[in-house]
Amino acid sequence: MQIQYRHWNAAHGWRGGNALRESPQLVLYFGSREGLAGGERYRELRSFYPDSHIVGCSTGGQIHGDDIADDVIVAVALHFATTQVRVVNETIESREASRLCGMRFARQLAAPDLAGVFVLSEGLSVNGNELIAGVTEVLGPDLLVTGGLAGDGTKMEQTLVGADGEPQPNRIAAIGFYGASFRFAHGCAGGWDVFGPRRKVTKSDGPVVLELDGEPPVDLYTRYLGEEEAAAMPGSGLAFPLRIHDEAEPERQIVRSVFAVDRDAGTLTFAADIPEGCTAQLMRANFDSLAAGAGEAGRQARNALADEVVGDKLAILVSCTGRRKVMGQRTQDELDAVAAELGDDVTRIGFYSYGEIAPPAATGRCELHNQTMTVTMIAEAAA
Amino acid sequence: MHRLLARQIKQSTDESGQVDMTRLVELVSAAYEESDRDRRRTDRAIKLMIEELEQTHKRSEQDLSHAREFLDSIIENIPIAVFAKDARDSRYILLNRAGEDYYGMPREEMLGKTPEQLFPADIARVVNEQDRGVVDTGTPMFLEGHLLEVGVNGHDRVVNSRKLLVRDGNGEPQYLVGVIEDVTERITSEARISHLAHHDALTDLPNRSAFNQTLNGRLEHAQEASASFAVLSLDLDRFKDVNDVFGHPVGDMMMRAAAERLVAEADGAFVARIGGDEFMILMPDDIRREDVLSLAERLVEAIGTELEVDDYLSHVGLSVGIAIYPDDGVDAATLLANADSALYRAKREGRGRVCFFETEMDRELRDRRLLQHDLRQAVEQNQLLVYFQPQARMEGEIIGFEALVRWNHPTRGIVPPDQFIPLAEENGLIIEIGEWVLREACREAASWPRPLQVAVNLSPVQFQAGDLERSIHQILLETGLAPTRLEVEITEGVLIGDFTRALSLLRRLKALGIRIAMDDFGTGYSSLSYLQSFPFDKIKIDRSFILNLEATPQSAEIVRAVLSLAHALHIPVVAEGVETEVQRAFLQSEACEEMQGYLIGRPEPIEHYFELIGINVERRRYA
Repeated sequence: MQIQYRHWNAAHGWRGGNALRESPQLVLYFGSREGLAGGERYRELRSFYPDSHIVGCSTGGQIHGDDIADDVIVAVALHFATTQVRVVNETIESREASRLCGMRFARQLAAPDLAGVFVLSEGLSVNGNELIAGVTEVLGPDLLVTGGLAGDGTKMEQTLVGADGEPQPNRIAAIGFYGASFRFAHGCAGGWDVFGPRRKVTKSDGPVVLELDGEPPVDLYTRYLGEEEAAAMPGSGLAFPLRIHDEAEPERQIVRSVFAVDRDAGTLTFAADIPEGCTAQLMRANFDSLAAGAGEAGRQARNALADEVVGDKLAILVSCTGRRKVMGQRTQDELDAVAAELGDDVTRIGFYSYGEIAPPAATGRCELHNQTMTVTMIAEAAA
Repeated sequence: MHRLLARQIKQSTDESGQVDMTRLVELVSAAYEESDRDRRRTDRAIKLMIEELEQTHKRSEQDLSHAREFLDSIIENIPIAVFAKDARDSRYILLNRAGEDYYGMPREEMLGKTPEQLFPADIARVVNEQDRGVVDTGTPMFLEGHLLEVGVNGHDRVVNSRKLLVRDGNGEPQYLVGVIEDVTERITSEARISHLAHHDALTDLPNRSAFNQTLNGRLEHAQEASASFAVLSLDLDRFKDVNDVFGHPVGDMMMRAAAERLVAEADGAFVARIGGDEFMILMPDDIRREDVLSLAERLVEAIGTELEVDDYLSHVGLSVGIAIYPDDGVDAATLLANADSALYRAKREGRGRVCFFETEMDRELRDRRLLQHDLRQAVEQNQLLVYFQPQARMEGEIIGFEALVRWNHPTRGIVPPDQFIPLAEENGLIIEIGEWVLREACREAASWPRPLQVAVNLSPVQFQAGDLERSIHQILLETGLAPTRLEVEITEGVLIGDFTRALSLLRRLKALGIRIAMDDFGTGYSSLSYLQSFPFDKIKIDRSFILNLEATPQSAEIVRAVLSLAHALHIPVVAEGVETEVQRAFLQSEACEEMQGYLIGRPEPIEHYFELIGINVERRRYA
């Protein structure tokens, strides 16, 4: 595999590394919603790579190498020696259609030599868990699926996804990688610690929690954040995600962060469904533990990647906008931690997302995460 | 330099290496603020978390205390003595209410004291030894069904007691927990149940299940020892009558007396009561045939002697059937079946007899079973027929017919009713047959041009089972026969048993307009009292009296007496079995109302009596 790295900013336009000797099969790009809107960047990329699949999305910050940037658009063009690439995209009509949508594109991708799937999805109206459940239902639990939900900075208004076309809202793109020499590895960790008593989700409706231990969840968050910070909810609520523990599936430990607040009703809306009756515990982190968590994700991914790789290696980092919000200027620390684990020979690109997709080490079952760093590694072995 | 500061300086430096101080200060200041906010958040979270954990702890303690109260109230109220002691010195530290009752002292007196301070020295020593044993070995003690050693509940109580060791968090012996359960009632009732399971409640003799068990043991033993032994099947004759006449309480006393006599005469043989009036005896091994016979005859004689109980005198008899191992069977089933068929023969030969099993009997019994089997198909395959026998006034005017069932067996030909009706009553088929006869008779009578009456016999079994009233009603509706043309004939057997139920059923039938006739009058016991209880429409004098009219003067007197009794009660009388003109003349002179018998006509298919029922024979034949 060979990688060509490019980035764009308003002052210089596109700049990039060495041109590839052969035409790439796949181009990935990430940018802010404002940067991608209008489709001009896509059209420019298309002119560079007329024969390639071009897939990208809006984000809550782009990761390129060691840096985070909001006003830079980053892209990688990948040329595979033997791996085949197929790209599909779907429009999602409603949140309820998430599962069906997942099943639909999984069916288009399914093939005996399918070796991995990377998903970029609309980030606000999709039910990420259902989307993944639909994919897994068709492709089986053993096929590795990673990816992330597109972001919109801290505005949460609209997210864009484009697959061989201009980026648009309400779209889901999936890339299928085929062939025996394709190498796909991943890592997934948070660095959050639970604290305080376990609480019971006494009343919930889908992703909306109405009562925790019989109390409106807004009251609990206000107590913990203090009046001043509580006024900045839901953003400030990202400091205290919930760990969800379902008695029926004790292995499964999911982290959910606050997405929306209804102060009149006293309810909080989380990034995915929180079943009534399950146990929830507040989580917190400091800068160091978050960075250490990211490092752990990098270590997992690096260890999972087979040794017999030839050519370039790409790491796609998908981390949570919530982490960036909590870490502020220290966000760089988590990128440094991943870089230290991956080593110098890996090209790193990625974005801050509204939800991360990867199987956690504990269950191996693909899930939607919040407040998590996920690392997906793409490479090729000798044919 | 701090990694963050280095990064901030880098971010504030332009391409020419110039540091933008304003930008740097902004970044550094923002970083301080982020740190402050994070610290505040952390402090706050720690403080809140401590508060919350304290509350949770408090709640847990409350929950624990509630749970403790709950358990305390259970322990306090269970009807089993529960105590706890200090494992080191056996000092009592807990006692429930049942425990206070058990020890006969309030807990204030017991708690804090050792066995030595509470019990006599010898008992305290035993208690302490047990306690040390449990503490030293860690093994629970369980004593089952022992007598009470201490306490006030009396020394006749049997208890189960157990003690077990409870250790503290470090694994050291902490408490001894004990329970004492009074099982006196359970043990006695277990013994009673076991006795009941193997003994007959009335006579206290071994029952059927005990008999079967013993028989199997005897068979096994006889096989090994090449011994022979006799199985006697006994049946009390006429015992049913005792119950009917004197009632069950007296019948029960008589049964006990009879059982005692059997046991007394049986010379130590195994006597069991296996059913209502049936007994079985197993003789000892290798008794000669003639000795078995003489014992059986002694039994017959002993039972045949008048039984007197509470001033009631009764004559019951005994019939005995004998089968001998191994000649008449080598397994229990065959031996029992053969002893039974010998008994059946004994009863048939006139009761009060002893019969050994012979192969011939086996055949008879099998034949009987075969017939019973065939009877089931008789109804479905239209083998049953209804014959009609005319009934007339003394002057000869025909007033109706009695419907009588006949069985035309495919190989045996006509089977007489006295052979198959008892079989049908035994297996309940009589209900179906009775209903069929009733329906046929009513259908037939409804088609007659002359509105003559039709009489149908009902069996006692029909009264006891099924919904007779409904089925009669249904048949009348179906056939369109006027209820006033139907007469049902019952024997007093209908009224024996559940008298009240039978009576109310008869009343309801009568209310429909159906006439009720008392059949076979004079052959039973209590006919007179039944006449008092129910307004019968007719009395039928049994044929046996009419048959003997000319031969024995007593018969004439009995007939005369019955007639005058009936006339006094305004009940018309039908004489059965009238065969001669002399009989008819006598009856007419005694003002008997109606008659039935060969003199008027035999039971025949209805075609035979077409003219009597008003059918022009020619017309019907060619219509």
